[in-house]
Amino acid sequence: MEDEKTLEGWAPEPDADLPLARIVELAFDYRGNTTVVKRDGTELYGYVFNRDAEAAVPYLEMFDADGGGPYRIPFAEVRTIHFTGKDTAAGKSYAAWLARKQAEKAAHATGSPVP
Amino acid sequence: MSVPISQMWTVASYVLTQRLRGRKQYPLVLMLEPLFRCNLACAGCGKIQYPGQILRKHLTVEQCLKAVDECGAPIVSIPGGEPLMYPEIGPLVKELVARRKYIYLCTNAILLKERLDAGVFTPSKYLSFSIHMDGLREEHDEAVCKDGVFDQAVEGIREALRRGYRVTTNTTLFEGASPERVRKFFDAMMELGVEGMMVSPGYSYSKAPDQEHFLRKQRANELFQRILSNPKRGWRFNQSPLFLQFLMGKRDYECTPWGNPTFNVFGWQRPCYLLQEGYAQSFEDLIQGTRWERYGKRSGNEKCRDCMVHCGFEATAVQETFSSWRGFRDTVVATVTGRA
Repeated sequence: MEDEKTLEGWAPEPDADLPLARIVELAFDYRGNTTVVKRDGTELYGYVFNRDAEAAVPYLEMFDADGGGPYRIPFAEVRTIHFTGKDTAAGKSYAAWLARKQAEKAAHATGSPVP
Repeated sequence: MSVPISQMWTVASYVLTQRLRGRKQYPLVLMLEPLFRCNLACAGCGKIQYPGQILRKHLTVEQCLKAVDECGAPIVSIPGGEPLMYPEIGPLVKELVARRKYIYLCTNAILLKERLDAGVFTPSKYLSFSIHMDGLREEHDEAVCKDGVFDQAVEGIREALRRGYRVTTNTTLFEGASPERVRKFFDAMMELGVEGMMVSPGYSYSKAPDQEHFLRKQRANELFQRILSNPKRGWRFNQSPLFLQFLMGKRDYECTPWGNPTFNVFGWQRPCYLLQEGYAQSFEDLIQGTRWERYGKRSGNEKCRDCMVHCGFEATAVQETFSSWRGFRDTVVATVTGRA
């Protein structure tokens, strides 16, 4: 069973086709930690749980790797976001579980090792 | 009739008061998620798919009570995560009972007997354990991706009933559910002695990438017709009969996304319990700052197209009960006759 596509390991740089707001949106949808790379060169590793691109000052919110925060960071301070943490949703769909269970049953029936 | 009169009266007087005050958007049930951590890992459940530092977080009792007071809903549902893993669940429930909130503690019941033995709770008309049961043993254990959970839940139900607690069940039906097996499951729950059952079609959480096993609307209507069109007299449901009629396709409702607002470690979730499109810092901000016109069937939002979940539509059904004589009459008739 092939797992769903994941952004894990992706390190995009914003450009005309991929604006920062889109990268933030993808980070918000991502079920794993990311590294927010700021324009001043500092980085913050953690979970992006919220963003508002329509606010007067667009921002994202995140908890760091220790659960500290939340930290609110204006888009203007963000250079990019790298998807450095493990995708905690990958391979955990109901379909993936069903396929694994069926493979186990088939293997049990034939006496072959479970893949 | 499975909902106690006092609870029905509380909800009725609350809804009528909101209507008399001219409030258009008022909550009915607060979905209070004190933590996301769970002792199961059900496939497709987006609630538990977070990094470790998020799963280790939980709300304080003070944060929970502030949300309860802000929101003002007469019913507080405590899902999660698994609320029996919340270290402050006893004190939280005690405070909610003191506030005369009707509590549905939604649990998989794995820890229920242990918590009851430890004296964490006291029976109250305000407290109901709402046990997650997705079918008979085979279907339930498959739904929760772990063998043996059905038997643990049944043991927990028996123990809670023996000790005098209110116990209900909540069931989510997915694509492929067998109407005959669901009817047998309802029989089994009634034989166990639960107060009432809640049932709802499943829905894919926006971040859980699994659409194919969640019911489409037409398929859901057909399934619920086959399950509910000839109900047994002994079946009791702990939910609006008009909502059950909606599930069967007899009524066409629009979603009330603010009816069951959700509060968790991220804040007030926009726009509803299922979709995570952002967070507000206050309940007022949730109500005033959410672009509600973007949600519901009429909005054309793809994510809302097939949704028939109770957290969006039961509030609509309750509003219909109290907004017209016909709605009230239909509710009374369905409640008295037991026919959806």
